[in-house]
This record gives sequence, structure tokens and C-alpha cells, in this order.
Amino acid sequence: MTDVLEKGISLRGVTKTYGSTVALAQLDLDLRPGEVLGVAGPNGAGKSTLVRMIAGEERPTLGTLTFDGRPWSPSVEWQAVAVVHQEPQLFPNLTVAENVMVGREASGTRRPKLGAADAAVMEALGIGDLRNRALEDCSLATQQRTEIARAVARAARVFLFDEPNSALTAKESDELFREIHQLADSGRIVVLITHRLEDLVEQCKRVAVVRDGRVRTILEGEALTEEGLARQLVVDATVTVATDTASGATRDPNAPPVFATRGWTLPGVFSDITLHGAPNEIVALMGVEGSGARELLRSLAGLEGCGGALTINGVAGTEAIDRFTAYVPATRQFSLYSNYTVGENLLVRLGRPEIAGAAFALRKRQMKTLAEDAVKRFMVKTGSITQPIRSLSGGNQQKVAIAQALNCSPKLLLLEEPTRGVDIHSKSEIYRLLETFAAEGNSVVMFCTEVLEIYEAAHRVHVVSEGRLSPPLAIADYDHVEQLATDITRLEGEQRGGAVAAAE
Amino acid sequence: MAPTDTPQTTATHGPGIRAAGRATVDVALRVGGLFAAVIVVAIIFIIINPAFANPNLAVSVLRSMSSVAIMAMGLTLVIVVGEIDLSFGAMYGLAANSLAVMWIVGGVPVYLAIPLVLCIGAVVGLFNGVLVTSIKIPSFIVTLGSYNLLYGLSLWVTNSGTFNPVYPPPGSTMDQGQLDFFIGLTQNIGAYRLSIEVFWMIGIAIVVGFLLHRTLFGFRLTAIGGNPTAGQLARLPVKRYKILAFVLCGVLASIAGMLDFSFIQTTQPDIGLSQTFPVFAAVIIGGASLTGGKGTIIGTLGGALLLAELQIGLALLSPGPHVQQIFLGAVTIGAVALDLFLTRIRKSRAA
Repeated sequence: MTDVLEKGISLRGVTKTYGSTVALAQLDLDLRPGEVLGVAGPNGAGKSTLVRMIAGEERPTLGTLTFDGRPWSPSVEWQAVAVVHQEPQLFPNLTVAENVMVGREASGTRRPKLGAADAAVMEALGIGDLRNRALEDCSLATQQRTEIARAVARAARVFLFDEPNSALTAKESDELFREIHQLADSGRIVVLITHRLEDLVEQCKRVAVVRDGRVRTILEGEALTEEGLARQLVVDATVTVATDTASGATRDPNAPPVFATRGWTLPGVFSDITLHGAPNEIVALMGVEGSGARELLRSLAGLEGCGGALTINGVAGTEAIDRFTAYVPATRQFSLYSNYTVGENLLVRLGRPEIAGAAFALRKRQMKTLAEDAVKRFMVKTGSITQPIRSLSGGNQQKVAIAQALNCSPKLLLLEEPTRGVDIHSKSEIYRLLETFAAEGNSVVMFCTEVLEIYEAAHRVHVVSEGRLSPPLAIADYDHVEQLATDITRLEGEQRGGAVAAAE
Repeated sequence: MAPTDTPQTTATHGPGIRAAGRATVDVALRVGGLFAAVIVVAIIFIIINPAFANPNLAVSVLRSMSSVAIMAMGLTLVIVVGEIDLSFGAMYGLAANSLAVMWIVGGVPVYLAIPLVLCIGAVVGLFNGVLVTSIKIPSFIVTLGSYNLLYGLSLWVTNSGTFNPVYPPPGSTMDQGQLDFFIGLTQNIGAYRLSIEVFWMIGIAIVVGFLLHRTLFGFRLTAIGGNPTAGQLARLPVKRYKILAFVLCGVLASIAGMLDFSFIQTTQPDIGLSQTFPVFAAVIIGGASLTGGKGTIIGTLGGALLLAELQIGLALLSPGPHVQQIFLGAVTIGAVALDLFLTRIRKSRAA
């Protein structure tokens, strides 16, 4: 492809590698002024690398970018590009107006003054009245508008919205999308990156599906539907252990559940959830950010103050949570200790009598044995147990994070996005670990955002949307991941319809 | 640095170091370097003035590092768990002063007054710890406040006076047995007249070193300092351990205050205040990281030893007090800079 856009940005053969990992592989994409382009893709597909590339935070290893037909280097001309994140990256201690002005070139040593143009921009975005308020006292929606205003004021021509509405209310999101369309209508280039398929379908003219570091397809017109997108996100994905899990340990439907909730409620997030997990069962909770799925999982680990009843292994309440659950957060920085070795990280959740004896003295020899066993059992690839944890690959670090939790022998394991940012090989090993753990009569609940992960690792999935739990889908009923993706999308749509009906 | 490189690079060091692991090697290098510095500095002093090659001088270095080291070990615990304590110097002063007032003025037997002072140290630590963990005031602010608070208390209980048990104020009579016991806590013994205070320091170092490096408490304390969020999510007793670290710091400061009182035999309201920064310097030179999760007792002892050596050596060379201060500053910054520099070199070599 040598023909590039006369007007707009063209990416041609853009490749980005980090060591041996390929984040973007020969990616071609056109961004046209005046339209909202959607970008969809599973985690780790290269979306965020793409955003960083266009924003000038990364340089391509290979390939070219052009803007209006001229070669373009965003890392030099970064002023042209604005990224609006889910979490605005601004100065919370400054006022709205100061945030719009901060970093402005050519102001010399004088404090910049708010010009008439800035005021007009803020007025147009509906934040004119708030200009003297400290940003930290403003709502998230206002903060995002401040970020937009800041970019408009410096005459940015490209706007990248990265999961912008995941923490906004429905009304705030509608307003945000109105702003997004206004930006596009005024001839700017607008890209919307989101997991929410409905937003992509409703707001975008074209949606590029990114998988394995390249644009697999661009959906537009009739072809642009939620089901179509859902299928494209998982089609020809490498299914790793689906056959293993489908024929996993036999589950007795009459066995008493490992855990069960009744009337489980977190005000404002979800209400009256009834959920249970059978022995040997892996349950997935699927939902976008803000749906309540993540909070539901965290509530089972006792991290959210919930009303209602929870019993685990026949014990009720907080005591049950403390005794029988172990929780693995989504980011490894919340579970691993960078000042500790691999072995110490594996054992850090243990206490007496496992690693300490009388007078709380550590049993060093015992610790060595336990850590070495854990390295073998959990398939951690490490030279020795005394290596720093940071020397491991992401996948192996994740195994250590999960092993750390499994080492305290819970009955109920709770995981958030268990294989986020993990390579394919470690992924399948992690799924195997979960399967083995469940097969010992335990229960696993995981929060997922990817259909493929559910298909490969779970036995049952509930879709969470607007704080409500869908009826379960049994994964064993599906021969193809595309079919599961379609059904999950349908359930999500029905749930939203139901929620709207209930609200009206 | 590709993660797969690591096993090979470790392997080239041979089986001994491989078994010890990189983290241990880091600590060993740091501590080894520190004691090498102590020896080099000693040699330099001896070259400048051969009369310094004198065991009596070594003995006085050890004595003068003792109270600094005892406080520094308490501070190490607090720093390892990721907090800061600025109040131990004032606690040191309050310990000596309240002991003096209780015993010399109030007539409380010293055998009872000492445990009472230890309790005061524990209560002060509890106060700091609870404010930090429950109300979530940053420890820098809490302990800056308690520093002033404790100094104020010292002024109050002593009525701004100075005390000496050997020369009690008119109207008080001292029990000779108690006086002998108290002064005996730190008396000089042996041919080189080594103070017993040094043995207190060694004993405390063994206990605190065991606590930090060989018990579940220390294991978790270091973990919490390295990643408090992870500790919370893994249901480690984060609050309790932080409070305990402050309590131990308070108790150790009160021990140091009483031992120095026993040795010097005189107390005034503002003693200890000027100890705050040398103690910090000892901990930092010893390799503890202010971001938490890193620090050793042996390193802290090395830091205190190096500082005491410089202080006494420079005082004897007598170029004036400014030189000691300049060296204290230069050595603190230099030690950390050197450590970061060497770490970077080793990392880039490993990659």
C-alpha cells in the first residue's frame, strides 16, 4: 500500500517490537477527518500501543506515518494529538482554567493569561462556569471536558478517546459522545477505543478490529453490528485448552455449593445478586468497566462493604471470607513484592505453622522446600527461587501471583482478569493451574472482559450489566467461540433493555 | 533486560553465589563495602596521625556509636515498613528526663522507674502508630508533631532543669545501691575500659536482627514495606505491624536515652534532639530505603560505626566542628549516590 490519504493520517506497515514481543505487526490504518473511527480488539491486541504510537509516546520500529500526505513523526509534532483517557491525566491541584493553559508555549516567564479564545472553548464545552474551581473538586465528566478543552485550545487536530466513558453515567456519556461528534464535524480526526460494542456500533462510522497487532477487518455500514463485532474479536483466535476444560472434572449437580450469595447488594453498583459456585467449577463474570462485574468479584473477597448473605463452605459472613477465599488482583503490582525474591513472593501469604514455628522464628529450610515445590507445581520458569521477582517474564510473574494465593489453600479463588498481559503459552498454563485447583473440590470465580478467556477457562459464565446478573451460559454447550461471543453480546443487550424497562 | 538472561548471568558467578541469589548478593556487597569503608577510613586516620592506632580509641568509637545504633535499629524497623519516625530523638530525651525526675526528685526506686520509662516509650510509639494507621495522617507529620510534643513534655517535667544522680538537688537523698546499679548499667570494664553500653547494643542488635531477618514478623514487615497495597489485599496485618514498628522504635529510643543517662550521668531537657539526623544518616548509609521494604540491622550498625569513627577521628584532628558536620552530610549523600551508581553498573552489565 503506497497510496496515502490526501487529508488525514495514514499508517503503513507500522511495526513495533519490544524485545521478542511483537506488539504491532505491519499495521495499516487510515484516519480520516470528519469521521469517528472505532478501534476494537481483545486485551493485548496492540490497541494501547497503537494509541501511544499516534500520540507520539512510542516510535515505530518499522513503517511510516503520514499526515495530509506528508511524512509525519508524532513524537515531534505531539501537539497535534490529544489523548483523552478514562482517568484524565491533568493537574488535580490546579483550577479548570489553569489546566487549560498549563504548558502553553511562548508564555515566556509570565504566568499565562486566559484569552478570549480559551474562554470560548470552555464555554462551548459547558465548563465556563467552573473555570475557577480546583480540578480535584470536579466530576470525572468535567475533568474529561477540561482535557478536551485543553487540547482544543492548543489547536489539536487528532483526538484519541481511550475508554472514555467507562466511569461515566449514561447521561454523562451521551453528552460526551455529543462532544465527540462535534469534534468530528468540525473536521478533526477522532478515534474511539473502547470495549463497549454498543458504543462502537452507535457512535462510529467505521470500526477497525485489531488482533495480534494488525487490523484484521474494518466493519462499516450494514456489517457494523454488535454481533458482527463480537464474532470478529474472537474469530480464528488460537484456542489453547478448550478441549481440556470442556471435559474437565465431573461436576455433581447435587453437591452442596462451595459458596452462595443471597440478596447480595452493593448500593449504587449491584443489587440482590444470587450467585453460587459448585465444587470443581470455574465461574466467569463478564462485563465492561462500570457494569458492576469487577465490584461483584471484589465483594466476594471482602473488599467492598456489601449487604446480604454470603456463605462459603457452610460458614457465613466475614469469617468465611477470611478463612476460605484468596483474591488475585488484576494488576501484578498489587500482588507482587518487588523487594522480594521469587521464593519469598510465593510464600508471603503464609504464616504459622507453614513457614514459622515457635517464637515466630522462620523455618528457613521448610521455606526453601515449600518455595521449590511451588515453583514446580505452578510451572514457574525461574533460574532459582532466590532471583528477584522482576527478572521473570510477565506470564511467570502472573503465575507467581496466582500461586501465592493458592498457597494459602482457599476453597474459593477469586481472580480479576487472570491472564491480562500474559503470553499465549503462560496463558494455557495458567488455565491448567485453575482447572487443577478447581478439580480438587474447590470453586473459582473470575472477572473477565474477554470472551476467549471465558471459552478457554470457565465452565459457566454470567454477564453482568448495569449491576444485574444474567442467566448462566454453560460453556460446554458451545463448539465455537464465535457462537459464545454472539450469545454473550445478545445477553448483554437484553440485560440493558431490561434495565431500561425497569427504570421506566 | 530480557528476563531469560538472568539465569545465565547468575550461573556465571558459580554455584555459591547462584544459591545465595541476587538480592542477597546486593545486601552482602552493600554491607561488605560499608565495613571496607570503615577500615579504609581508619587507615587514613592512622596515616594522618599514627597515634590513632590505639585500642582505647576504638573502644571510645564503639561506646559513642552505641546509643545512635540502638535508636537507628528502631528507626530501621519503621523505615523498612515504609514509614518515617522523626520523634525518637525527643523520646530519647524524654526517657532520660522522666527517669531523672521520677527517681531523683520523686523518689521512685530506679528498678521501677526504668520499666515505667520503657512503658512511656511504648505508649509514644503506640500514639504515633495509631495516628498513622487509623487516622491515616502521614507519619512524617505525626512524628514531627510528637517530636515537639515530647520535647515540650521534657521541658515541663524537668521544669527546664538539669539533673545528675550523683549530685542530687538539695532535699533529695540517693540510695547508694540504686545509684551503683544504675551507673553499673554502662560502667567501663576490662583492660581497655569498654563500656557495658556496647554490650547492650550488641545484645539489642542480636534480638532486633533476629526479629527483622529471622521471624515471621520481620518477613511480613519487609513485605508490607515493599508493597502495602498487596499486603492489604493478601490480608497481612498491615496496621498491627506498622504500629508494632513504631512501638519498638519508641522503646529502643527510651533504652538509648536511659543508657546514655547512665553513662553521662547528667541530663538536660534538650538532649537527644540533635541525635535525630545522625541516626537517620546511619540508617540510610546502612542501605535502608526510605521507600520501604529494604534495610538490614547489620547495615545500620555499619552506618553507625562509620559515623562514630568519622566523628571521633575528626574531633581529635580538631579542625573545628564544621568539618564533622560537612563530613556527615557528604558521607550520607555519597553513600547513597555510590550505591545507586554501583547498582546501575551491575544491572547494565547483567543485561
